[in-house]
Amino acid sequence: MFMQMEYFKAKKILDKYGIRSIDSAYVDSFEEAVGFSAGKPIVLKVISDKELHKSKAGLVKTGLAGRESISKAYTELKKKAEHIKPYKIIAQKMAENGIEIILGGRDDPQFGKLVLIGLGGIYVEAFRDFAIRVCPISRYDAREMIAQLRSGGVISYKGKSEKMLEDMLLKVSSLLVDNQDIKELDLNPAIIRETSYDVVDIRVLV
Amino acid sequence: MVSRKKFDLGPMLKPKSVAVIGASHDSEKVGHIILQNYINGGYSGRLYAVNKDASSKILGIDVYTSIMKIKDRIDLAVIAIPAQMVPEALEECGKAKVKTAVVVSGGFSEVGETELQNEIVRIADRYGIAMLGPNCLGVMDPRSRVDTLFLPTYKLSKAQIGGVSFVAQSGAVGSTVLDLISGEGFGLSKFFSYGNAAQVDEVDILEYLMNDDETKVIVMYIEGIKRGKEFIEIAKKITKIKPVIVLKAGKTAAGASAAHSHTASLAGSYEAHDAVFRQFGFVIANDISELIYYSKIFAYESEPSGGRVAIITNGGGTGVLTADAVSSTKHLTLAEFSGATKKILTASMPKLVNIRNPLDLAGDADSKRYGDAIAAVAGDQNTDIIAVIVLFQTPGADSEVAAELIKIKQTANKPMIVISIGSEYTQMHKIMMESGGVPVFDSPLSAATALEGLLDYGNYKKAVA
Repeated sequence: MFMQMEYFKAKKILDKYGIRSIDSAYVDSFEEAVGFSAGKPIVLKVISDKELHKSKAGLVKTGLAGRESISKAYTELKKKAEHIKPYKIIAQKMAENGIEIILGGRDDPQFGKLVLIGLGGIYVEAFRDFAIRVCPISRYDAREMIAQLRSGGVISYKGKSEKMLEDMLLKVSSLLVDNQDIKELDLNPAIIRETSYDVVDIRVLV
Repeated sequence: MVSRKKFDLGPMLKPKSVAVIGASHDSEKVGHIILQNYINGGYSGRLYAVNKDASSKILGIDVYTSIMKIKDRIDLAVIAIPAQMVPEALEECGKAKVKTAVVVSGGFSEVGETELQNEIVRIADRYGIAMLGPNCLGVMDPRSRVDTLFLPTYKLSKAQIGGVSFVAQSGAVGSTVLDLISGEGFGLSKFFSYGNAAQVDEVDILEYLMNDDETKVIVMYIEGIKRGKEFIEIAKKITKIKPVIVLKAGKTAAGASAAHSHTASLAGSYEAHDAVFRQFGFVIANDISELIYYSKIFAYESEPSGGRVAIITNGGGTGVLTADAVSSTKHLTLAEFSGATKKILTASMPKLVNIRNPLDLAGDADSKRYGDAIAAVAGDQNTDIIAVIVLFQTPGADSEVAAELIKIKQTANKPMIVISIGSEYTQMHKIMMESGGVPVFDSPLSAATALEGLLDYGNYKKAVA
């Protein structure tokens, strides 16, 4: 079975390829979380090998502003995570609103590295709207992948974020090709806006 | 995966000499049927029968107790004997310097006899025999009249000679499609049913068909690809040269259990195959009927310059249904006739014809009205594809209309297809038109699906050129 790569090690790899992920830090106490927030709203989430569906399992708390709500959320998460030890709690800046997509990769036994884009977050399994190609992909492939999605026009804001999405796909493809040890990759969700984006969750299996 | 030797399948499809190993007096036996089919099919090469126990002639053909006793060099050995006897027979083929073998016998990896299968691969490799199968129907080529299929001819209609080659892992799907193709105007170039693909597999077959000038269109039914990386390499090359239509089984197979990432739970084996087909320009069929529609469009038509479709009809309702089918595709649109075209049509059409797309010529449309309308639209700069609906139930439609369409088709500079829906009288005209080079579809949706496949393939070719 594959091992999950430590979050910040994975984040560093994304940084290297110019794939932007949201500011994050491990927190060992609610005080640390308050410090990280520095007066701005944050997200707290539990990271564990034993849970794939974090938000479904109630392991993500968003829009936390102020000492009181951070403290309450932190305590609740600790309680919920009791049965999926070992775990860590991560604090993240709140990403601005946008559309949630998934970018991913997998090492296929027949064809090698595959790259994926689709409607993300809670819609991944509900709509199963995704496109896959074999790495390395060309810009033409990236464009075709977006065109293949039923939600292509929505996630590309009718084409306005198209180039950005293509660039993201090309970067993920390079990352997968260069890092042969990566067996599976989920950037889910990445929050897409017209001219900017943030990857807010990273899962890398090696 | 280690890349391995390439096999020359030429002698398998165009053999100058064929030996049927397991030929039998018993008309129920596979070996008997295969020999009979060679004789019935009019194979003109040298034909031999091999049977360990037989002495007298079978079906008038000399019988040898071993292939090694034949003084001729054998291009193709068809092996139809019980699985346990195959290694020895293949060994003898090797000693007799047989070039290729089709092992129709079952009883290998498909029933867990993996070691027996590995053994025959080792033998074939040692002697450099290109071996198809085991557990397959084998090959058919209506030009060389090679036919290793053990299906009685009265059960399976023979396809005409043509440019479509069909490759099927499954014998059942293969023989079904073969039977269906016989009812179509486009004909067959090569047929492969490759069964367990123990040695020769889809990569070798694609390589052969890519370089085969008699093959214009390749149609595949695939259950699983054995050599993924090599498949990708050949896929990249082949679709630049000729279209490949593919139907992949296993959409519903359970994905990897307990996936640990969302990507892995979405991107299973079927999806990976689908991704490869899309990426390298294959035309993906979702059903056996779609295989036929796509075969037809690619056999008759070249890629269009664009996706704007003009519809000419002698039935209003069917015209609207076709417009709906066109609009429901992702890339086809309804053509907007140019001012010049409208002028020509206004001058040549009777008053009751509304000059717009779909162009309804009315139920009394005869060959003259069809001819005038199509000529105008063929010259229209805003039209890339012409879809002509001919409902033969109407008073005006008869063989003269069909003849007119055949005539126009010969000079048409853009894809032109016909949609005709109906029973015997319609079928008769379908055969007539298809023999004359006009593809005929039996529904608006099948026509639209086929046309979109043609357009998408053309766009792929332009993009990778």
